[in-house]
Amino acid sequence: MMYNNEHFEPVITPNVSKPGCETIDFYMQNEEGYKALEKALKMKPAEVVDEVKKSNLRGRGGAGFPTGMKWSFMPPNPVDANGNVKPKYLVCNADEGEPGTFKDRLIFTKTPHRMIEGMIIGGHAIGSNKGFVYVRGEWHKEIRLMQKALDDAYAKGFLGKNILGSGFNFDLVIYKGAGAYICGEETALLNSLEGKRGEPRLKPPFPAQVGAYGMPSCVNNVETFAAVPYIIQKGWEKYAKMGPERSGGTRLICVSGHVNKPGVYELPMNLSINDIIELAGGVKGGKLKAVIPGGASAPMLRADECGVLTDYDSLAKAGTMAGSGGLIVMNDTVSIPEATYTLLKFYEHESCGQCSQCREGSHWLARMFKRILDGGGTQEDLDYIAKICANMAGQTICAFADAVTGPALSSVRKFRSEFEELITKGGLHGIGRTESVSHEMGGAHV
Amino acid sequence: MKWVVLMSNPISIPKEDLNYTSGKLPVHSDPNPEAKPLPKVTIDGKAYEFKPGDTIMQVAERYRLHEDIPRYCYHPGMPIAGTCRMCTVEVEKAPKLMTSCSTPAGDGMVVHTRSEKVLKSRNGVMDFLLTNHPLDCPVCDKAGECELQDYTFEYGPQESNFKEEKRVYESATTKKLSDKITLNMNRCVHCERCVRFTDDVTKTNDLVMVNRGWHKELTVTDEKVGLVNDYQGCLTDFCPVGALTMNDFRFEKRVWFLDKMPSLCDGCSKGCNIEVHHDKEVVQRYVPIFNEKVNNHWMCDEGRLSYHTYADANRIVSPLLPDTASGRLSSTNWETAATIVNARVKSASKVLVVVGTDATNEEAMLIKGHFSARAELKYHSGFGENKALDHLLRQSDKTPNTKGVAAIGLAPMQATDVNGKDLVVVFRQGRAQIPKVEGQDVILVGVYAREEIDALKASNVRIQAVLPSLATIEKEGSFTNCDGITQSFNAAVAHRGKALALPKILAALVGDKH
Repeated sequence: MMYNNEHFEPVITPNVSKPGCETIDFYMQNEEGYKALEKALKMKPAEVVDEVKKSNLRGRGGAGFPTGMKWSFMPPNPVDANGNVKPKYLVCNADEGEPGTFKDRLIFTKTPHRMIEGMIIGGHAIGSNKGFVYVRGEWHKEIRLMQKALDDAYAKGFLGKNILGSGFNFDLVIYKGAGAYICGEETALLNSLEGKRGEPRLKPPFPAQVGAYGMPSCVNNVETFAAVPYIIQKGWEKYAKMGPERSGGTRLICVSGHVNKPGVYELPMNLSINDIIELAGGVKGGKLKAVIPGGASAPMLRADECGVLTDYDSLAKAGTMAGSGGLIVMNDTVSIPEATYTLLKFYEHESCGQCSQCREGSHWLARMFKRILDGGGTQEDLDYIAKICANMAGQTICAFADAVTGPALSSVRKFRSEFEELITKGGLHGIGRTESVSHEMGGAHV
Repeated sequence: MKWVVLMSNPISIPKEDLNYTSGKLPVHSDPNPEAKPLPKVTIDGKAYEFKPGDTIMQVAERYRLHEDIPRYCYHPGMPIAGTCRMCTVEVEKAPKLMTSCSTPAGDGMVVHTRSEKVLKSRNGVMDFLLTNHPLDCPVCDKAGECELQDYTFEYGPQESNFKEEKRVYESATTKKLSDKITLNMNRCVHCERCVRFTDDVTKTNDLVMVNRGWHKELTVTDEKVGLVNDYQGCLTDFCPVGALTMNDFRFEKRVWFLDKMPSLCDGCSKGCNIEVHHDKEVVQRYVPIFNEKVNNHWMCDEGRLSYHTYADANRIVSPLLPDTASGRLSSTNWETAATIVNARVKSASKVLVVVGTDATNEEAMLIKGHFSARAELKYHSGFGENKALDHLLRQSDKTPNTKGVAAIGLAPMQATDVNGKDLVVVFRQGRAQIPKVEGQDVILVGVYAREEIDALKASNVRIQAVLPSLATIEKEGSFTNCDGITQSFNAAVAHRGKALALPKILAALVGDKH
């Protein structure tokens, strides 16, 4: 494998293919497990935050917000109106639901202690004594494994009271979501954690001021936490060096779709999309047509655009986003309108429905795509899709509406001829695609 | 008596949009040059001072600019949701449009409420909302006072490219949420004012949204119980569309036929400010109007439906005298009635006058002036000591002016007060209870229903006359509520029967003309 990067080494997944790698004994014997915690507990919280800041670690959940900066937003000594000290909460966002993303699941099943250690260090850094692991409700097996890992960590004294004799207490609780994609949005997650409807909150106030149960809270992704032990143990320089400027470390890239070796790859961010496809065994069953680089919400890229590097800033410059690292590869047998419709059905089903544009728009777009696939489309529809997307993007409380417009708008812009063909020839049937794959691929029940 | 009116807190004549503005008033900097001046925000080219902490919407309300900012989810009496995205405005230097309901105003901020970008966004929201809203305005009860109609007229697209099937909530097209409220979910625009109202205002949590996204549906928390709060009528006041309608008013009258006059609710001692909606003097409904000191934006259902008492077909609206032969009460004219009652009052040796606590301050003074020389005066409500029934408005004393009547120096009536009297004159013009009088002659003055008179007759009360007077909404005056706030009001509707204003009745009762 050619990484073109002399500094690169796997941070999270060096041993995930070895048997027994999920156990605490394996983690402690072979991966210097919980050594970083020992080190971090001897540091001052501000030093830990500083270390993470300098490592250029950015949030791995999708938005790519610098983690150290997020931690530094936490108020040092919050008090309520009566002068009582407010607790601070650390929340792990394990509501991995972005289509095409399955990296957090790998961490949960193969190296859960890395994440737990990262959370304890995070708790020390922001001064929190209680953490929640918000897990998507469908992960039955993963929840069991994580609970086992937590129990083991408690048994060894890495969680609970007076951790490693430092006087620092930290408890971790698993909270099971009820299966809503939107609960991956941090404020919707906090609402769900409190037992309310999973609807994103109006910001400000941000979670660092008013988070879970009204207390200052910090929400980070599983992969973000899993990277923290390495940074503390090996130092920020080593981590930062692996990636380009402002994007430190490695990323877990979930390669799926038409490639010969789909799966999770831990990669530095100086690789292009073409490099990653090559690493994943090349395109299967045809020529490359399009790539979704960062989970379903990221706008598509045409084959000729795939030379772009996969760090946050390069992808943003290319009009798409690094998102959650879900790289979906489509070869030339794919009908882009049909593939996009599959995604739109998902969004139609998952919109929380509080903002007008998103509630009505996500449904409208999905129905419109369906009509075009069924042969009822017109040229004006294509222009109207752009208008609907313009009315949705950036107009709502959370980024969900922008996520809907990602695939919808990019597909029409970049593959307009395919839509026009469907319109002139009478839909999928007219171009000889009688068996629609999108219906088998699941998605929303409408 | 006039002084009471002058010194009271007259209820305001409201602006057009009843429920959607708070009572916020313009603020001015301290003229003292050393004082720190208030911050200023520029809205559509003009600078306005505001209180730190105000949102852009609240500044607009202070200066009555609220009509430039459309809104669905925002309501001044509820927490901010920021979800309808209708109130977005352009703030210079902000990358995106901002929701004016939730964005705090800042010193030096420059806001445009009608820039091209803003109008385009509002047009977009309307386009989305109209995709699934049934365009059945001709048969919708909300037509004429519907915010979707108004905003479509002002901001909406004139045509839509929506060719898909509209959403239909099969089970909630005409769903009775309680005996008072009917839901048509197809018309809902999901602003969730109603949910926040039951969560944060009544705190009864009896409305919830179920499902998600496009399928999101409003329903009652417990289907077996339905709505349980005592302020259900308010749901229809602030529902921007015809989703929640009140059974009492539903399909009774097109709203553009209604004349609207401010008045006071006399259903309890709170004195909620209301608007009487009537068509050709026939009352169709009461709606609350905003008064920060009294009822905020709300009123209870009991008060809201109390207009039925005055519109009742069995209300006695002509003087009644007993037939000399049979003793049956029968209708007569005022001349005859006046002659007889005048003689009866003058011939009585010991008279007790019972003033119901639903008399206005002015009427109570007048009664006192007429009778203090020749009778013993007491007041009576029949509800005992007033207690608040909940954290909002409802009171246990169902009469509007106990404090006011007590303040003019009357004492509450005791059961023994009737002893030794040969005539009792009862004034009862609203919801005060009729005192129990056995063995004495009784003259009833005020607002009575035929059932009440029949019941008294059945228990052998010796009614000498029934003299109908005007109801609260038909007269002017003032009430002092349970919190000691005196509020004056004018007549909202004209009386359509033969009842007379109290001064004329008093003149007939004890005047010297007869």
